Amino acid sequence: MEKKLQVRNLRISFRTSNGKVQAVRDINFDLDQGETLAIVGESGSGKSVTSKAILGILAGNSIVESGEIIYDGKDLLKISEEDFHKIRGDKIAMIFQDPMSSLNPIIRIGRQLTEAMLLKGKARQRECRNTFNTYLKNLNDTMIEAIAKGDSAKAAELTANCRNFDKFEFKHIELEKKYKMAHEAAVEAVSDLDTLIFECEKKQPSKDAAYWVKDVEVRSKESVSDYVVTDEGQELLTLSRGLSSAFASARKDNDYSVLLPRMKKIRDILKRAVAKPVPNFFRMGYYVTFSGKPLPDMPVEELNAFLLEYLNNNFMLAFIDDAKIALKYSADRSYKAMQEAIKELKDGKSVFDKAELDHKECKETADRLEAAVKATIDELAITKDSLSYTFGPAVRQQIENYFKAIHTNVKAVKAYERDKRKYDRIVASGKKPEWEVADAAVTDLDLIKKNIERIIDRLVEHYEELLATSGNRDYDKETVGVIDFLMENASGVIEKITKRIARDKAIKLMDEVGIAEPHKRYNQYPFEFSGGMRQRIVIAIALAANPDILICDEPTTALDVTIQSQILELINKLKEERQLTVIFITHDLGVVANMADRVAVMYAGKIVEYGTSEDIFYHAAHPYTWALLSSMPDLDTNERLEAIPGTPPNMIYPPKGDAFAPRNKYAMQIDFEKQPPMFKISDSHYAATWLLHPDAPKVEPPKIIQDRIRRMQEKRGQNNG
Amino acid sequence: MVDNQETLLKVEHLCQYFKAGGGFETKAVDDVSFEIKKGEVFGLVGESGCGKTTTGRSIIKLYDITSGSVYFKGQRICAGTRSYKEAIAKAKKELAEAKDPAEKERLNKLIAEQKEEMKKAKEDHKHADPKLVTQIQMIFQDPIASLDPRMTVRDIIAEGLVIRGERNKEVIDQKVYEMLELVGLVKEHATRYPHEFSGGQRQRIGVARSIIMNPELIIADEPVSALDVSVQAQVINLLNDLRERFGLTIMFIAHDLSVVKYFSDRIGVMYFGKMVELADSDELFAHPLHPYTKSLLSAIPLPDPIYEKARKRIVYNPLAEHDYSVDKPSLREVSPGHFVHCNDAEFERIQKELNA
Repeated sequence: MEKKLQVRNLRISFRTSNGKVQAVRDINFDLDQGETLAIVGESGSGKSVTSKAILGILAGNSIVESGEIIYDGKDLLKISEEDFHKIRGDKIAMIFQDPMSSLNPIIRIGRQLTEAMLLKGKARQRECRNTFNTYLKNLNDTMIEAIAKGDSAKAAELTANCRNFDKFEFKHIELEKKYKMAHEAAVEAVSDLDTLIFECEKKQPSKDAAYWVKDVEVRSKESVSDYVVTDEGQELLTLSRGLSSAFASARKDNDYSVLLPRMKKIRDILKRAVAKPVPNFFRMGYYVTFSGKPLPDMPVEELNAFLLEYLNNNFMLAFIDDAKIALKYSADRSYKAMQEAIKELKDGKSVFDKAELDHKECKETADRLEAAVKATIDELAITKDSLSYTFGPAVRQQIENYFKAIHTNVKAVKAYERDKRKYDRIVASGKKPEWEVADAAVTDLDLIKKNIERIIDRLVEHYEELLATSGNRDYDKETVGVIDFLMENASGVIEKITKRIARDKAIKLMDEVGIAEPHKRYNQYPFEFSGGMRQRIVIAIALAANPDILICDEPTTALDVTIQSQILELINKLKEERQLTVIFITHDLGVVANMADRVAVMYAGKIVEYGTSEDIFYHAAHPYTWALLSSMPDLDTNERLEAIPGTPPNMIYPPKGDAFAPRNKYAMQIDFEKQPPMFKISDSHYAATWLLHPDAPKVEPPKIIQDRIRRMQEKRGQNNG
Repeated sequence: MVDNQETLLKVEHLCQYFKAGGGFETKAVDDVSFEIKKGEVFGLVGESGCGKTTTGRSIIKLYDITSGSVYFKGQRICAGTRSYKEAIAKAKKELAEAKDPAEKERLNKLIAEQKEEMKKAKEDHKHADPKLVTQIQMIFQDPIASLDPRMTVRDIIAEGLVIRGERNKEVIDQKVYEMLELVGLVKEHATRYPHEFSGGQRQRIGVARSIIMNPELIIADEPVSALDVSVQAQVINLLNDLRERFGLTIMFIAHDLSVVKYFSDRIGVMYFGKMVELADSDELFAHPLHPYTKSLLSAIPLPDPIYEKARKRIVYNPLAEHDYSVDKPSLREVSPGHFVHCNDAEFERIQKELNA
């Protein structure tokens, strides 16, 4: 499985007037594609802070002390805000906790749904055009450098080839777009008709039926096009014309006997049209642009084969060969640069190793290293090597932090001494003050130095890895990838998102997330929606950009069971359909059992137990997990619930030992003195509790949990047997 | 189980309509009837917007109900006039068309009777015994929004006493401290403000505020749904202790079915303003009869991953399930203590199922 997201040694604290609150302390986890990780814990345990760090929306007073969040090869804690714009919402989306406050109360639902689509649509169009042009130009330049080698006639030929590619590629998109619109119209009309026919047969058309009929009328007209509804086009048009007025009169009399066969006929025509084979428009685009002849009249399969032959013979094979040479040339150039960069990096590292850093020297070294790293960037690589891209800013930011911290540390120590004197004075006068002296908010300079070294080491490792695998690159495959990449960007340029398209998309989304009468709802304000409906809107907004990772921050806490169940099913369904990776934050363990593949239990900024959902629910090992499990009733619980006494610790004064020890009835002496490490229970299951130490006394989980597990097993046994 | 069978609260044909603008009305609660016995916990469940909270608030007279009546300890404390008005309007219409003098006589008498009833209802509603009404208290859903941020805990808890006329500061303090101790807080907390407390502690303050009046009936409107699991358990345990200690009767409104099941003796299921099923909690969970209840029960998440991954939610579609075009439904008793909202055909089917 592909690792989608990696969180390493993440440590976040907040500056407050009372001192530094350590919200997240050294957490690590991995996320695979299509997997759901549930983070469970009480409020204040740092679940939401973790997710906000992933999304880059931490509050202004937060300090990321160390750590990495690696997504798609990029470290999200180090990339610039502009780069984050491309990720936030687009690739990583979030569903917020409170549907009441996460929607703007004075803007209509429709506008809130389409706002991002329209904005991103425009930005994407611009970006696609830029990418397409730059890439093609780079390819052209490299081709000239690698193949022509100063031969001007050859160079001109290569340039002409690239231009031609540009031309017919756009033609292809135009043709395909036309087809797609007609095809989609047909598909939609069929689904509308299905519902309509069902309802008319029951003689109970819903309020939206009139809209659907009109929709069918419009869509049928749109679907008459080449390759969709062709021969039967005339018949379809006559059938669908005046359908809505016919429906209105039928509804008045509540008699659908005439209308039903007519609708069925329309549906059959459209269904046949939808099932037709699809011609290859990429090839067709080339033929139409350059052959100068009309398309030969033959069945679609034959046409496809004919066009393929034409394209390959005239253009594609030669172009692919050229592109391949260019790719290889560019890659080799980059590998050479990498070898040199490794040397530079290893030299430069010693500068940051000294006991005290010199500002000027650091800056100069950073500049030198950045230049060396920049030279390694392969412009023809499709997946950008983001470690190289982010290296410069990351190092420079750390250096800045370091020199800033030298000053602030002096201040913090002074402030601490002042408070301490005051405290001592009060104690000396015989009173017991109500407050405590917070530790000085000193930034750890060594940690910053270590961070810089880590950044450099990582890059060196990364380069060495790349160099080691340089022999097994498949350039044939990559060249095909390049052509696909160009095709994709070209389609991005043409696909304009107008308000109408956005509206259609939004309504489809609303339908997908289960909102009835979406066309009516589209124009309503948030206050006209119930909690569950609002949460669906929030989900629809999150999904509008088709993200990779979905962070759900207690999405169902404010909702009741049926709606909760529906929302969870919806998220699960969307996860399956779109291969989403989900981070699910909640304190409800019932929900976790339903959703999660893996569970991380968090307490006081640390992950105390980590494992698959079976591990956590059937073989929980940490007393905090036990406490959480036994404090919730299930349908067969009759005994008194075991509430967790007390409250979570104040993280301005993080406890010395295990943070849960004061509330833990299984706590041992060592729990108050030393933090437990993560003990490995099985390959997938870890827990941080001294109870797992070989010298610890054997402790059984509470009776209420054992009973529940036994009861569940019995029930399952009954059902199976 | 409750041994005492004395009825504490009786709700009859309660209707609560809200004006929805444009001459439309939202029927938040539509013809709901139930009884709460003394000392029991009556759970009310249903999805959001089905009228659970409105029912609770109507009982405590936060709304003027549209029609129906609420009896507390045998006395009518809430009454609506809509049903009388409709009866009068209907009778008047018939009167205009009636020719037979005997018929006219009868209708005139009917109108006079209804007017008399209406007058009585208005009187009862307006002049309900305040001492009786204060014996019903409410715990609100959101512990953050339901406490005035500018009042100290002492003022919040003592407010009811003060309104009832208690002016002796010492008595009030004494009572407040007692209540604080009861709900697991300490005396020192009395001078603090709500924002200084965590969610669970705030909900405890809400509980203290409601029990200071020595109520007989507490309407707990989702008291735990805004809290963390661990704190939920604390509050539920607290309510259980108080109930045993004072013999409280609790009407428990919630949407978390596992909690309702754990806490309640009898459960009513509401759907779109109607009570669709009403039974003992064990009976309801073992043999749900109404399709909506079945759908609701199938939606409960349990802390058991293997079961959860196989769990199928039953979808409830009222249009497909019932045909009420001719045969109108009502709440009927299908087996002792088990009521289901159904029509004649469904009633027969359920009977057959039960006997089989």
